[in-house]
Amino acid sequence: MELQPVDNLPEGFTRGLNSDETSEEYFLNMGPQHPSTHGVLRLVLKLDGENVLEVVPHLGYVHRGIEKLAESQTYLQNIHLTDRLDYLSSHFNNLGYCLAMEQALDIGVPERGEYIRVMVCELQRIQSHLLWWGVTGMDLGAISTFLYGFKEREMITDIFEEICGARLTMNFFRPGGSFADVPDTFIPRVKKVIERMHVALDEYNTLLTDNIIFRERTRAIGILSREKALSYGCSGGVLRASGVSYDVRRNDPYSIYDRFDFGIPVGSVGGCFDRYRMKMEEMPQSLRILEQAVKDFPEGPYRSKEQSAYRLPQGSYYSQVETARGLLGTYIVAEGGAKPYRVKFRSPSFSNLSTLCEMAVGHKIADLVTILATLDFVVPDIDR
Amino acid sequence: MGVGGASGATEQVAEILDKFPGGIRLVDSIEYLVAWARANSLWPLVYGTACCAMEMMSAGSSRHDWARFGVEVARATPRQADLIVLAGTIVEKMGTNLVTLYEQMPAPKYVIAMGSCAISGGPFYYDTYSVIKGGDRLIPVDVYVPGCPPRPEALLYGIMELQEKIRKEGRRNPWKVGKVLETPFVDTHSLAKQEWLTQEEKKEDEQRLARARFKAENPDYKPAKPQRLAKEKFAAMPRIPPRKSGFTNPSLLAAVQRAFPEVALFRQPEITPATVADLGPEYILDLEIGPEQYPDLVRFLKEDQELGIDLLLQVTAVDWQDHFDVLVQLLSTRLGHKVFLRCPVSKEQPEINTISDIFRGAEWHEREVFDLFGIRFSGHPDMRRIFLLDDFPGYPLRKDFADPERVVKRPY
Repeated sequence: MELQPVDNLPEGFTRGLNSDETSEEYFLNMGPQHPSTHGVLRLVLKLDGENVLEVVPHLGYVHRGIEKLAESQTYLQNIHLTDRLDYLSSHFNNLGYCLAMEQALDIGVPERGEYIRVMVCELQRIQSHLLWWGVTGMDLGAISTFLYGFKEREMITDIFEEICGARLTMNFFRPGGSFADVPDTFIPRVKKVIERMHVALDEYNTLLTDNIIFRERTRAIGILSREKALSYGCSGGVLRASGVSYDVRRNDPYSIYDRFDFGIPVGSVGGCFDRYRMKMEEMPQSLRILEQAVKDFPEGPYRSKEQSAYRLPQGSYYSQVETARGLLGTYIVAEGGAKPYRVKFRSPSFSNLSTLCEMAVGHKIADLVTILATLDFVVPDIDR
Repeated sequence: MGVGGASGATEQVAEILDKFPGGIRLVDSIEYLVAWARANSLWPLVYGTACCAMEMMSAGSSRHDWARFGVEVARATPRQADLIVLAGTIVEKMGTNLVTLYEQMPAPKYVIAMGSCAISGGPFYYDTYSVIKGGDRLIPVDVYVPGCPPRPEALLYGIMELQEKIRKEGRRNPWKVGKVLETPFVDTHSLAKQEWLTQEEKKEDEQRLARARFKAENPDYKPAKPQRLAKEKFAAMPRIPPRKSGFTNPSLLAAVQRAFPEVALFRQPEITPATVADLGPEYILDLEIGPEQYPDLVRFLKEDQELGIDLLLQVTAVDWQDHFDVLVQLLSTRLGHKVFLRCPVSKEQPEINTISDIFRGAEWHEREVFDLFGIRFSGHPDMRRIFLLDDFPGYPLRKDFADPERVVKRPY
C-alpha cells in the first residue's frame, strides 16, 4: 500500500489515501454551510466509498469571542451575552450566570422567584427538545416532524414572550430572582401547554419513535461506551444514554429542584436510538415537574432586594446547571471591581461533539448525519 | 442591489422596440411579468449561523409559513438559490466562505441581512476580535431587518420589502442610474421637514389660544399634583446554600495531601485539612501544584477508586499578567463532588505537559487554551488552533492582546 505524501493532506489528517487501484478512498468536505451540520460546523471526512474512515471537525465558524467581550462589560451587562451562547437554552444560561453571582454576593431568592425559575427552565427544556425533535426528523428525511414540532413550540414561545418580551434571547433572570413578575395568565397558559403536550407526545411517538424506518436508521448506530463518554467529558442526554445516571438537577441540585419528584431516564447501549429516547423521555419528566410546580405556585415577592451595582469580591465562583443539552458550567474569576476578570463557560455541546470522531468511524455517511442529529449540539455554544 | 435586474438581455431589444408606436408598452409589460414572477418565487439558501437562524426556521414553519409569499423552496446548495438570508453573526473565518457562497449563486440574486449582527456586528461590535462588523462589508445587501433577533413577522416584512424592490426592477427602474439622472432632483426630506415645522407652529398657536381661553373661563383652576407609581421594594433574602453531596473538603484535601504533601490551596497556603471547613460549604477545593507533578496529580485523582472522580469538566487558563494558570476542573458523577486544580505556567516559556492521555476530552480543551492563550501542551497529539485561523496574530484572551485593526474599543 502506498501512501500519498503527507504535505498534501487536508488540515488535521496525518495519514494519506490508500492509492491501490481497487481502493475508493477520498476526502470530502461537509460544511460549514450544510443543512445537517446544524449551523456552521465543518467536517472533513475521509471516505472509502460511502464508509467513513476518519472525521476531522473544524470549529470556529461562529467564534465571537464572548469570553473576551465579557471582560469589558459589567456583571449585569454580561447576562445578555449568555443568551447568545446556546440560544435554545437561554434561560439556563442566564440562570447559571446568576447562580454564580448569587454565590459570590450571598443573595437569596424568594420562594416565588425559585418557582418561576424552575417552571421557566422546564418549559425551555421542552421547547428546546421540540425543536431538536423536529430537526432530527428532518435530518433523516421526514419534513413533517419539523412542522409538528414547531406547532407546540410556538405555544411555549408565546409564554416566554408574555413574561419577558423575547422569543429567543430572554435576558430574564437577575441575581435574586427575575427582572419582572409573571403575569396572571402564566399559570393558565402553562396548564394548557401541559394538557396539550401529553397529547402531542403520543402523536410524536406514533409519528417518529415507532416508525420502522426511523428505528432502522437509528438502531445500533454511533454506539458510545460508558467509559468513553466519561473520558470525553460528555454530559446530559449523551452521557445518560451511555448508562451514567448523572443529572445536575438530581446529583447536585440547584434552585429548588430537590423538592420535586421526577425521574432521570438512563439508557443502556449508548447508541443513536438511546440518545433519542433520553430526550423523548425527559419531556414527560419536565411536564411532571411543571404539574407539581403549578399546584404549589406561591404568592409573594418574585425577587430579593436589588443592588445598584454588582461588584463581586475577589475570588473564583463556579456554578453548574443542567441545560437541555447537558452540564453548563459558569466560572467567574473576580478581582474586585465592576467587571469580571475572566469568564469561562463550560459548554455541554463542546465536549459532546468531541466524541464524534470516535463514533462516526465505520459507519455510512448517512449515519453520520444521524449521529450529528442525536448529539444535539448548538454551534455558537461550542464556539462561544 | 440585485445583480442583473430584469433588463439584461432585453436591453437591446428594447432599444429597437421603443422607437415603434406602442413598442414601449410591450417591453414594459414583459418586464413587469418577469419581475412579478421573480418576486413571487424566491428560493432562499439554507444559511444560518447563529440565533437568527432559529427565527428564520420559525418563519418557515407552521405558524408563520413563508410559503405564503412564495419563499417556500429552501435550497441547500447556492447554485439553486437566489436569496441568501444572513441569519446570524459572520466571523472572519466564515467571511471567505460567505463570499464563495454568494459568488456561486446565479444572478439575479438578493441578500437580506437579518438581525443586528449581520447589519453591523450588533452586540459584538465593540471589543471582539473575530466578528465582521456587518455582512455588507463582504457582499451587497438589499434589505436590512433589524432586531436581535428579529421576530419572524419582521423577516416576513423584510421579504415583502424585497419583493417590492424586485417588482420595481427593470428598464424603467427609478433607481437605475440613467433614469435617475434624467429626472430633476427634488429634496423631499427638506420639503417634509418644512411642512412639519409649519404644522407644529400651527398646533402651538392653537394650543396657546385654547389655554388662554380655559384660564379666562376657569380663573380658580389648579392642576392636580402628578403622582408617580411607587417603585416596588423588595426585602433582602437569606441565601440557602445548595445541598452538597460526595466527599467533604477536609477529607478530600487530606486524601490529596497524603499522596502529594506539597499541594496547597490557591492563595491560602496556610489552610490545612483541619481548617478547610472554615471556608464554607460552597467552597470548591482549589489546589495549586507545580508543573512537574501536575499530570501525576490528575492521574491520581482519576485513578483513585475511593475519590470516584471520573469526569473532566474543562481545562482552561487565566492570565495573571505575570504568569498563566492552567486550570483543570474535575467532577465525580457518582458522588457529586468537584475538585479544581491549577498549575502556574511562565509567560516566557508557556509550555506544560498534556493530560489528554488521561482524559480524552482534554484534547479539544487544550487546543482551545493554545488557541486563545498561546500555551503549548507538550505531548498533545494534535496541537493546532481550534477556533481562529492559523494566521491570526496573537492570542486574544491574553490581557495584553491588542489589535487595533480588528478590535473597536468601546468609547465609554
